[in-house]
Amino acid sequence: MLSPYIDCQLTSSEQGLVEAHLERCDACQRELEALRGVVNLLHRVPIVSPRRSFALAEVVPKRRAAPVALLSAATGVAASLLAFFFVSDALNLFSSEVPVEEQLKEATPLAGPPPDMAGAGYEVVENWPFWQLEVSFSLLVVVLGAMTLIWWRRRKRGEKALKS
Amino acid sequence: MEEGDLILRSKEGDLDAFNQLVEKYQRQVYNLALRMLSNAPAAEDATQEALLSAFKGMGKFRGGNFRAWLLRIVANACRDHLRSWRRRPATSLDALVLEPDRHAPSPEDYALRRELGEEIGKALVALPADQRLAVILYDIQGLSYEEIAQVMNSSLGTVKSRLSRGRARLRQIMAQYMEPLP
Repeated sequence: MLSPYIDCQLTSSEQGLVEAHLERCDACQRELEALRGVVNLLHRVPIVSPRRSFALAEVVPKRRAAPVALLSAATGVAASLLAFFFVSDALNLFSSEVPVEEQLKEATPLAGPPPDMAGAGYEVVENWPFWQLEVSFSLLVVVLGAMTLIWWRRRKRGEKALKS
Repeated sequence: MEEGDLILRSKEGDLDAFNQLVEKYQRQVYNLALRMLSNAPAAEDATQEALLSAFKGMGKFRGGNFRAWLLRIVANACRDHLRSWRRRPATSLDALVLEPDRHAPSPEDYALRRELGEEIGKALVALPADQRLAVILYDIQGLSYEEIAQVMNSSLGTVKSRLSRGRARLRQIMAQYMEPLP
């Protein structure tokens, strides 16, 4: 109660109670004087001038962050697709097996029965143009990766220049 | 230009307008940081971080007391510094560096006030951060209870309680380290 009493922040009834108590309590009177001493000292603490101005020189333009984020995302997507094509190609996920017999019949209908090719009577036929996809996506990943790197380095240089 | 116009233009990204607000408040913002951290280089860092953060976050200022909003941001920046010091105690609490106040009446008076500032600075550091903030804002910077409640985002009762406990604790600390109080 003494702290808000010093600041005159009590209601009139609270203030009356505090004053009535102070009249008959030496300990609280001493406490009040000591607190007033602290407050007076705090009021005399100097306000210090900053050694420099804190005005902002320039703010890093926000729009430069977007191309880097977009480019790195695009590189990631292209790299993921490339990895997918490689794995699909290696595991023959999108290939179908066509019997060699049918192919031979179509090619040479008058020929005799094919030799016994147990276990090798089918030929793997790729339904997707994997080779072309792999080459074009490899190129795409390289180009997008290089663009991401260039933008990122340009942004870093800009930030360093602003700091200096 | 009026403060309201400067705030509106700052919200639109006008750096010159914001820097006029910086010019007006930087002294008070820096002094709050200095008394909270009791370390001049850290206070400069906290002030700069807070002002940059304020400019970036101008869109979040919904009107009202701009000074209280700004002081809340610097108080939060100081809390971040204090938290990082607690994790790395070796870097905390270097010697307090005070620069002369251009408005000080005389060198003798400045020397006395500087000594006083150093002593009280040491005592303030021993207070919990919330009590220290209340004491600095009310007794050193002269804000009202209402404005401090806005800075602290708390009720008037909380401000009264923090100020009261802070002063009482400060009295105990200063009684130990300084000459007996009058």
